[in-house]
Amino acid sequence: MNRKDWTDQGPTRRAVLGGMAATGALTVAGLLPPGPRTAVAAPSLMRAIPSTGQKIPAIGMGTWITFNVGPSRKLREARLKVLQTFFDMGGGMIDSSPMYGTSEDVVGYCLSRIENDQTLFSATKVWTVSEAMGKRQMKTSAELWGLKTFDLMQIHNLLDWETHLRTLKSWKERGRIRHIGITTSHGRRHDDLLDVMRSQPVDFVQFTYNILDREAENRLLPTAADRGLAVIINRPFRRGDLFSKFDRHPLPQWAGEIGCTNWASFLLKFVISHPAVTCAIPATSRVDHMRENMATLKGPLPDAAMRRRMVGYVESL
Amino acid sequence: MIPFSPEVFFALFEEYNLAIWPAQFAAYALGLLVLILAVRPSRVSSGVIGAILAALWMWNGVAYHWFFFAPINFSAPVFAGFFILQALLLLWKFVIQRDAMIGFRRDAPGITGLTLMIVALAGYPLLANVADHGGLQSAVFGVAPTPTVIFTLGVLLLARPRAPLVLMIVPLLWSVIGGLAVWLVGIPEDVVLPVAGVLAVNLVLWQRRGQA
Repeated sequence: MNRKDWTDQGPTRRAVLGGMAATGALTVAGLLPPGPRTAVAAPSLMRAIPSTGQKIPAIGMGTWITFNVGPSRKLREARLKVLQTFFDMGGGMIDSSPMYGTSEDVVGYCLSRIENDQTLFSATKVWTVSEAMGKRQMKTSAELWGLKTFDLMQIHNLLDWETHLRTLKSWKERGRIRHIGITTSHGRRHDDLLDVMRSQPVDFVQFTYNILDREAENRLLPTAADRGLAVIINRPFRRGDLFSKFDRHPLPQWAGEIGCTNWASFLLKFVISHPAVTCAIPATSRVDHMRENMATLKGPLPDAAMRRRMVGYVESL
Repeated sequence: MIPFSPEVFFALFEEYNLAIWPAQFAAYALGLLVLILAVRPSRVSSGVIGAILAALWMWNGVAYHWFFFAPINFSAPVFAGFFILQALLLLWKFVIQRDAMIGFRRDAPGITGLTLMIVALAGYPLLANVADHGGLQSAVFGVAPTPTVIFTLGVLLLARPRAPLVLMIVPLLWSVIGGLAVWLVGIPEDVVLPVAGVLAVNLVLWQRRGQA
């Protein structure tokens, strides 16, 4: 059966390199010559947020489409099982937005029924215009999630970003949010995002990157590393399209060298093995797919040579 | 960019149909009344038809789009605005201005119009059943946009001397949006909508050219 998931949607270079060295993965970054091995053991796929040093799992969860289930009790209970699996398998970041319909409400519904959510790293967005509406929207988000503070508040798709950034700086100083971020997706507005990354005091950036959409490798990812920004990757499966493309093909035999037994782990390991990536946020409405996603946190990551091999293989399909 | 899955869309329809029960019967009764008045027109029937259609469009704008659909779709408030606008335009053209009469004639627009009205009332629900979207998951005439729009396009084809073009705009826009649902949400029965839109616009333009 084709897997159809949907996804919704910083560090200093020193911090990035430090984090990579700590996991023995400098070869992954392509910063050391590749040795005879093609994979590097990664004892724990936790990544440090450069600005604060806090570590979060390299696989999070997006909520675009998947958690927008409206009032249906049956569907909410189904999503509760998905989120319970996420935390049972060491999950951390949940990313949402007011744009995603009832997703924030459903996340709040689930969190209020989950006991082992201490590892939660709450990330949502402000998606409106004007200071007053932005503040109102962020307060509503906190109510929906059942939280007093957010670990990360992002400006969604750069909408009215100058206005919201003033608010977020003030809120961060007052402890109402812990990190500031800014997002885009689908490869849009990279020039504008780069301007913000180079000139503004943001902790996180979020954009699209996957094994076929690699434009971010040219400017966004290197700039994030240079500027010390944490990076969240949305659409790691291109909203399920990559499964449609690849599911009928077998994994290459050498996928076992990096611990991949399914396409989900193959695609996710490619994304999170980029040295500048902090966290990928695949979305799913299914428990079995959540298990596959979270299993990616175990086992070795591909090094630079293996990453090139992975790209070559999928482009040959 | 559709922010919900087909599973959620149909679950929402279940909730909606349960919440508004038995408004569906009232909507069907009004639809049948419009059909009868269109076949047997009288001095006041066009105004009554216009008022009924306006009420149904208003319901769709407020109850369906604004209250039920908006929580899962950020575009729904815009849709609500368009549906409310269409309700006001129907009142303006058929009840206040009265510059068009609605009545069946045995010509191409008339036969097509009557057919579209019957399709909206009977054919569309049958197609939905075949597509396994029947019962509580049904988009019911009068209280759900797609069959209401198909029905309205049919009524407009019965307008004489010709259908006011301003009344075609919103139904045609919805034909495009609803037509996308065939592929994006997986509602094969909605293929009737773009077909109805293309038929209606071509017949109205043909009718206007003939009268020019």
